[in-house]
Amino acid sequence: MAALNLTKMSQEEVIQAVVDHGGEGIIKCIQCNACASVCPVAKAGFPLFGRLLFRKLQTGHYEEIIEEASSWACQACNRCTEICPRDAKPFEIVFAFRRIQANELAISTSAFTPLMNLHATGHAVFSESAKELRQSVGLDPLPATSIDDEKAQKEIQTLLDNGPMGELGIF
Amino acid sequence: MAKVGVYVCHCGSNIGGVIDVESVREHAATLDDVTVSRENLFMCSDPGQEIIRQDIKSGLVDKVVVAACTPRTHEPIFRKVLEGEGLNKFFFEMANIRDQDSWVHGDDHDGATAKAKKIVDSAVAKARYLMPLQEKYVDVTQAALVIGGGVAGIFSALELANMGHKVYLVEKEPSIGGVMAQLDKTFPTNDCSACILTPVMVDAGTHPNIEMLTYSEIEEVEGYIGNFDVKIKKKQSYVDWKKCTGCGDCADACPVRTPNEYNAGLDNRSAAYIHFPQAVPKKAVIDMDACINCGGRKIGSETRMSKKTGKPILAPCERACPAGAIDRSIPVDPEGEIINVQVGTIVVATGYKVMEKENFKSLAPDSANVLTALQLERLISATGPTGGKFLRPSDHEKPKTISFLSCIGSRDENHHTHCSRVCCMYMIKQAKLLKEKYPDLNIYMHFMDVRTPGKDFDEYYTGALDMGIRIIRGRVGGIDMLPGDRLKVMGYDADLAQNIEVDADLVVLATAIELQDDIKPLAQKLSLTLDGSGFFKELHPKLKPVETAVEGVFLAGCCQGPKDIPDTVAQAKGAAAAAAVPLAQGRVKIDPAISEIDRDKCSGCGICEPLCPYGAISMAANGDGQTRARIEMTQCKGCGVCTTACPSAAIELHGYSETQILAQIEALTL
Repeated sequence: MAALNLTKMSQEEVIQAVVDHGGEGIIKCIQCNACASVCPVAKAGFPLFGRLLFRKLQTGHYEEIIEEASSWACQACNRCTEICPRDAKPFEIVFAFRRIQANELAISTSAFTPLMNLHATGHAVFSESAKELRQSVGLDPLPATSIDDEKAQKEIQTLLDNGPMGELGIF
Repeated sequence: MAKVGVYVCHCGSNIGGVIDVESVREHAATLDDVTVSRENLFMCSDPGQEIIRQDIKSGLVDKVVVAACTPRTHEPIFRKVLEGEGLNKFFFEMANIRDQDSWVHGDDHDGATAKAKKIVDSAVAKARYLMPLQEKYVDVTQAALVIGGGVAGIFSALELANMGHKVYLVEKEPSIGGVMAQLDKTFPTNDCSACILTPVMVDAGTHPNIEMLTYSEIEEVEGYIGNFDVKIKKKQSYVDWKKCTGCGDCADACPVRTPNEYNAGLDNRSAAYIHFPQAVPKKAVIDMDACINCGGRKIGSETRMSKKTGKPILAPCERACPAGAIDRSIPVDPEGEIINVQVGTIVVATGYKVMEKENFKSLAPDSANVLTALQLERLISATGPTGGKFLRPSDHEKPKTISFLSCIGSRDENHHTHCSRVCCMYMIKQAKLLKEKYPDLNIYMHFMDVRTPGKDFDEYYTGALDMGIRIIRGRVGGIDMLPGDRLKVMGYDADLAQNIEVDADLVVLATAIELQDDIKPLAQKLSLTLDGSGFFKELHPKLKPVETAVEGVFLAGCCQGPKDIPDTVAQAKGAAAAAAVPLAQGRVKIDPAISEIDRDKCSGCGICEPLCPYGAISMAANGDGQTRARIEMTQCKGCGVCTTACPSAAIELHGYSETQILAQIEALTL
């Protein structure tokens, strides 16, 4: 592998993008590896876990990692943020990177159905079998949420259509 | 007949856990001349000491043997007991049955007990023949010498002077100030080095108790603690310092150009020059190695008259000097002047140097844009070659990308194995100063690891991260020179696990701290030894950090090992306090366990003289004109080399006489 020429990397732009998407702690990371030691993503063997993702971002990597699926394995357990000695909030950086990935439609295909459901009903996941269960205990088949409320659905759609997700053009 | 009391100590379980103490006590009671034999859990405790005290008081005992631990730590305690009861305190012998027995034979209780008995036999055998000895005292010369006028020497001198002692402060350069005077700012507070140092330099320069001897070097050191006789060479300045006002007109007039040491060789100075703008004393010197003797005005040459003007033909420096301090017709001695001073104690504060970049062939030392960190200090200093403008040396363009390389020559078996301790911090300081002033500057710092052990140091480092300074973990292996005076830094990012490169306009090398090449002769003059890293060796790494093996000689600052300014000042004040002790006491004790020559037996063969490692023996004419050996008691350390070498058996080492030693050997071998 050829040496990476740091002077030719867009470090400032990438760091700024991460900061703009909520990962302000990115420049604070000192690569101590504490986050990785508790990270389920790292433990499960995904290649681009916490601190390595941060180092890639710090050194201006973008194209090379934008399609990487590891970040979607994050369980949002928040242990990295609890343990980080620099208060860099690693969890926020992972989510900032996810937002950047989403903007590039670098999302797992399996995520599209739940997103469509969310747009249509306000629920990302809703099981048809729940209707039977509810009726068997004497409840209405649908819960008293947006799923049974057209006005609420409209509001949710308005919010989604006018937010960052609406710009992705998937609804 | 001697009345020997033997006291066997358990030392808790240290001895008692291995050796059968009661059996040793019983054995001791059977020895000739032993009048009492007792044991105690801790002989050094108050009740333990009291047992001895009572036995002496009641007349049972007049020689004391304690079988316990080491005389190094405990002999003084027991000697005090004897002294308190009116016995000569040298009527005491220690049998070390702990360090030399129970600690090394923990797995052999019977063997250890048998050995303890032998050791006690030996001590009792010697104790029978113990002779009374008297401690002697010599008066202390009420003055101190501080060698080196950097921040360590300045603070040592000031501290001693403020205590009321006369101090000679010797500095080889024309001005005091040392390396700190070359620094721009200081970590971790970024205060201006000159701003905090200059007032202290002036304090030292004007202190009534400090006699500053700048442009001077130590020529010879004779004597011993309390009475050192020091020859100091005042180098020839070729300028009458009594008249010189430090105006600098001679420097302006001088046409010579030679590398400027103060700016770490980044620019040139004249041959007639003032060390630096805030110099103390602010006096000019003429560097005769560089001087070209304008107008044929060699030093000591007769003044010729101009046929045209009828006026004397003078060199530009002479003509320029408004104070008449330069007169090249005076045949001054190029060797300068030797002066003698007598001092009681000496503080060595000779500082350090940084390695030159030429030592590192793989790091493009031939490029003008590869600098040592000290050169960068000068480059960014307002008193530096560019007046503080940050311009790279090759083309005076403003750099856009700069790489800092740590551990150059440090932590490296090829150069120095030690960590130079200050490089991480001063590089971070330089990076922060530059980034503050030029936010667009791309700064890369290559570290093996970042070491910030000091108050507010790590906060200083993490502050650099917040500023966008890029830290890379991995030592740099090489630099290639690129077209356009640029440099390709070839490194590795351990966190990415990938080779990396930086195309830099300027590269800064944090080169190792080491002692100056010309320091060894001084070490020899002072009989100082160097440690494994090549710095002056302190007497004990923890408990005697400013003392040396030479009594009365103390260490301060980087000559003892790399350290930053706060640590240097702390050590300088510590060394001053230690150096003040003999001065305050007014006299120093001479251990009586030293050698003495029986001048009637001495044949004057002179074998002993070169053998003495302390130079304590001299050959001198007797009253009857015959040459005999003489031992200077203040220099003798009681090693006994002369005693064993003397073919006439004319030398006795007090406290270790032939009779005593032979009795010990007999007791051990019978």
